[in-house]
Amino acid sequence: MKKTNMLKWVALAAAGALAAGCASYPDEATTRQMAEKMVYDAFAYSPAHKGRLDQDRSQQICSKVGDAKLTQAEAAEIVKLARASIQYPASGKLYGDWKMGDRLAHDGAGDRIRNGKTENRKENGGLCQNCHALAPGEINVGNVGPSLTGYGKQRGNSEAVVKYTYEKIYNAWTYFPCSNMPRLGATKHLTPEQITHMVAYLLDPQSPINK
Amino acid sequence: MVNVRGFRFTACASLCLALALPVPAMAQGDLSVGRKMLMEDNPGELWVDQGKALFHQKRGPKNASLEQCDFGMGPGKLEGAAARLPRYFADTDRVEDLETRLLTCMTRLQGFDRDQLIKQAISAPASKGSDIEALALYITSRSNGMKVNVSLSHQKEYDMYKAGEYLFFRRSGQTDFGCVQCHGEPDKRIRLQDLIHMTSKAGAQEVSSTWPAYRGSHFVVRTMQWRLNDCVWQMRLPDLKYATDYSIALTTYLNRQGNDAVIQVPGFKR
Ligand code: HEC
Ligand code: HEC
Repeated sequence: MKKTNMLKWVALAAAGALAAGCASYPDEATTRQMAEKMVYDAFAYSPAHKGRLDQDRSQQICSKVGDAKLTQAEAAEIVKLARASIQYPASGKLYGDWKMGDRLAHDGAGDRIRNGKTENRKENGGLCQNCHALAPGEINVGNVGPSLTGYGKQRGNSEAVVKYTYEKIYNAWTYFPCSNMPRLGATKHLTPEQITHMVAYLLDPQSPINK
Repeated sequence: MVNVRGFRFTACASLCLALALPVPAMAQGDLSVGRKMLMEDNPGELWVDQGKALFHQKRGPKNASLEQCDFGMGPGKLEGAAARLPRYFADTDRVEDLETRLLTCMTRLQGFDRDQLIKQAISAPASKGSDIEALALYITSRSNGMKVNVSLSHQKEYDMYKAGEYLFFRRSGQTDFGCVQCHGEPDKRIRLQDLIHMTSKAGAQEVSSTWPAYRGSHFVVRTMQWRLNDCVWQMRLPDLKYATDYSIALTTYLNRQGNDAVIQVPGFKR
């Protein structure tokens, strides 16, 4: 009896609060549920493109709102998932052709969708120039990421540097959990072979980036 | 519990604020010289007149004007209306932004076909523009000189705001992009394109007060919906449908963050 009365009272109070316009922010779980539904309602996607809306575990962790920081456990999980994602080219060679890498690094196109059609191209561009300064003197470059000018000149091209650079491009979060750099190999935007070309572009003494 | 109370308190406080009308700005000193110069010679002005004519004309299967459309301040009352959008509308029981509200009125009052309107909403570059683009600009221009004042008071407005915030930070797809990857830090560029720092007050204010805008490289007036389309295209997401809650949520979040900016449209963009 007492309990029911209590409930009634709470319900009345809540109704009163609503009537007075005292609405409040929804809690985290409710927000997530509403917003996730919005995503799937908003995009005209084919089954083949649904994956572009779905979040993988790492993306979920890396979508913290505001200034919220990763916990140590989360950072460790990201690194673990990133490590596990890395695939090496069939040839085993991580160092490709810097000329092809040069072209790819400056190519910001590929795989965009308009009116249901995916851009019709032989391969995706590397997107690097969108975010990084590359060869000296290039003006049309972004600064979302650090400058890569002289990248190889500073580091040499030892086996360890080659491996780091390959892995960094394949999955940037291996070395910097949740950074703004896309995991270009892990998300299949780039193939392992394409990445080897960009490794060479960054590291080869002949590459314009090191001139 | 204390937290919850804190939220409640904020909610009630902003309800009171919501009752205050948007005030015309006292001083224009916050407009930079560059922005002023652009405004004086902005081809987008042509669309304002076009929008005004469209607003008053009897059109559509029901041969009605938009003069009975309620943008939140009462039927036909446009002064300061856009400054408070997105907001909750009882007649549709949802939160609507400017473009969604236009769709509502053009279908309900004028009898236009919704799908047809949506098909034509975003015009081709260098065209004469769409009706919705001109109308959106005209209606927003009637808030020129007033401060953005998105006041969360209805529960659905709170929900939209929070969803928008969540979506701004939500990463997905092969580029791992959320909005914040490109708009979360000051002085950043993608190639040579300056990225507005929208998690800062000043950046959000730039957004909330300058759309619709004349886009120099397209020779037409563009709306927020167009801008969002272009960003999600770069993010490699599928086609964004017109006037969905996704856009309304992001716009609610950005405009609310950009409260108190003085509206001056048409903006002028690259
Ligand atoms: C959307 C932006 C973005 C794109 C696209 C991008 N990067 Fe990055 N990159 C970053 C950011 C931000 C950092 C710094 C954070 C980090 O290390 O992850 C970074 C860091 C790096 C580093 C580490 C630098 C160091 O000193 O160790 C390398 C190497 C690199 N990027 C190469 C590339 C290459 C090659 C491409 C193209 C295939 C590319 N990036 C595409 C944003 C980007
Ligand atoms: C890959 C980078 C990138 C991502 C991710 C991105 N944007 Fe943008 N955004 C841009 C660029 C580039 C511009 C245009 C800058 C210019 O025209 O000079 C822009 C412009 C804008 C503008 C107009 C700013 C103004 O008032 O001039 C808005 C609003 C905006 N973005 C919102 C968003 C939202 C919301 C998201 C997420 C759904 C998003 N962006 C994701 C790159 C991005």
